[in-house]
Amino acid sequence: MPGLAIRDLEVRFPGLEQPALAIPALDLPAGAHVAVTGPSGCGKTTLLNILTGLERARHGAVSWQGTDLSALSEGARDRWRAAHVGLVMQEFHLFPGLSAVENVLLPQRLSHLRLGGETKAEAARLLARVGIGNPRQPVETLSRGQMQRVAVARALLARPGILVADEPTASLDAEAGAAVADLLLELAGETGATLIIATHDPRLTGRLERVLRLDGGRLAPGAERA
Amino acid sequence: MFRFIAADLRRHWIGVLAVTLILALAVALGVVVTLQERALRLGSARAAAAFDLVVGAPGSETQLILSAVFLQPAPLPLMPGSVLAGLLADPRVAWAAPVGFGDFVDDFPIVGTTQALVNGLGRLTEGRASARLGEAVVGAAVPKAMGAVFHPMHGQIQGPAEVHGGISYQIVGRLAPTGTPWDRAVLVPIEAVWRVHGQEAEAAGHGEEPRPRSLSDAHQRHRDFAPDLDRPIRPEAFADPSAPGLPAIVVKPRTIADAYKLRRDYRGEHTLAVFPGEVLTRLYATLGDARQVVALIAVGAQGLVGAAILLVVVVHVLQRRRQIGALRAFGAPRLVVFAIVWLEVLALLGAGLLAGAGLGYLAARLVSRTLEGASGIALPVVFAPADAGVLALVFAVGALAATLPALLAYRQSPAAALRG
Repeated sequence: MPGLAIRDLEVRFPGLEQPALAIPALDLPAGAHVAVTGPSGCGKTTLLNILTGLERARHGAVSWQGTDLSALSEGARDRWRAAHVGLVMQEFHLFPGLSAVENVLLPQRLSHLRLGGETKAEAARLLARVGIGNPRQPVETLSRGQMQRVAVARALLARPGILVADEPTASLDAEAGAAVADLLLELAGETGATLIIATHDPRLTGRLERVLRLDGGRLAPGAERA
Repeated sequence: MFRFIAADLRRHWIGVLAVTLILALAVALGVVVTLQERALRLGSARAAAAFDLVVGAPGSETQLILSAVFLQPAPLPLMPGSVLAGLLADPRVAWAAPVGFGDFVDDFPIVGTTQALVNGLGRLTEGRASARLGEAVVGAAVPKAMGAVFHPMHGQIQGPAEVHGGISYQIVGRLAPTGTPWDRAVLVPIEAVWRVHGQEAEAAGHGEEPRPRSLSDAHQRHRDFAPDLDRPIRPEAFADPSAPGLPAIVVKPRTIADAYKLRRDYRGEHTLAVFPGEVLTRLYATLGDARQVVALIAVGAQGLVGAAILLVVVVHVLQRRRQIGALRAFGAPRLVVFAIVWLEVLALLGAGLLAGAGLGYLAARLVSRTLEGASGIALPVVFAPADAGVLALVFAVGALAATLPALLAYRQSPAAALRG
């Protein structure tokens, strides 16, 4: 499982004096479960974008198990992300018109010419694991909690070493949010994946082994809880 | 990928349907112009096929062809009766037949001619050839029963008309369909036409008839005029050099060389000889110019529709940039994102083109049928292999334009999906 090493990371946006993100050094062991918190605009999303290779770090190095994302091209980062990162987002990004299982399979369908029976069986297993009884149900007819659980299943299909969730519970009611949080923690534990969750939800941060508090793009010293 | 495209199109089916329909209508516009012009060319060329050479009095060549071949009523100058006699005696002529007109029954032109032209037009499907002056053979599209008796009318129903009350013809035969205006013609012996219009009497110099005292008197005499048509046809009457004047003669030369010689010999002070083909070629040139103007307008309309649809697609792609970003964030390769947008536009384009070709064909058929009813000219609506090339070109241009929204999607940052 990949561990993370950040050195001299600095992200600036045009027109802003202060860097949006400045992390001199950060190391995470493989399999760590980490929360990223902080007020809005503190750089949480920017950090997630950099960690998942969605955006390129122009200054500094972001290495997962020796792979420096800042040195990869956009296409290479896409391929790396497809192979190593499972993403869960606040707004689910499920595609209406497709069933639950088709949504889980969609990223693999779009990047492979043919899907093996194994992948399909894994999709069915994951859907059962997250508690979706009918994999053929069109996603637009699911409840929001169910939708996020389908999204969790989708994130795990390629057996990623890194699971990244951006406010996964923010748009859910307390009960559904708790169910999704349980799933993320359990599944990351089962697969040994490194779990990084950006969240405001104290019930969620309280359950993670480490909390990174961002403020103005910098890690708040001492706010880290081991 | 294709399942995703299908699901996406299905989900936006109202927009997809509307865009396809607009595309189809724009394409149909161009298709109708092409098909209809081709139908007019083919139809008129086929209608003229039976008429190798037409001889008339000097005047407008176009009018001569329009009147003699397409039966468009127009007052043509007459040439002396000796011309027909000369042609009938000419060894280069297989057959020659007069075409005399002026009268109508309902809306159908009555054409005075001879058996030679009836034979030249085709066979009879019903009845027999005219044997007496008062007997008529009708074209396939004339809705009159065998044995029916009618009075000819001077002029058409819509215009100032006058019924020749004292004259009646009986229908004894019907021609097979020819797909030409002659399907709407009523063929009577030319001698009968001469008699009805009193030309024979004038030509023979019967001077004892008193001049009418007034216009109404003349009209009355015209209406009451009742020549004797219960006489057998005398073929020798046509060959009489002192026969009355004729507006047009249809000539079938024996060989192509004869045709050119006859055309040369009969272009002079007293007569005009024309190949229908040469007049049609000139008409086609005009028709082609008109088609080009209309086609340009159609292309302009298609371009505008294309641009508007491109704009709609671009706006749609921009509106869905988060969704597109999400696809990439989840691991879809950029090329796949490009292909999804591109193929969706191509699907719309292909469906629009096919539906447009179909709609255009149906519209052209409808126009053709309406025109056929009015003119009697069969207007065949057919696709030519070149049409497929034009459609392929439109498709290629559309495919090229579709790369614009596809590139937009291709360049869409996946990070956009995460931003709240």
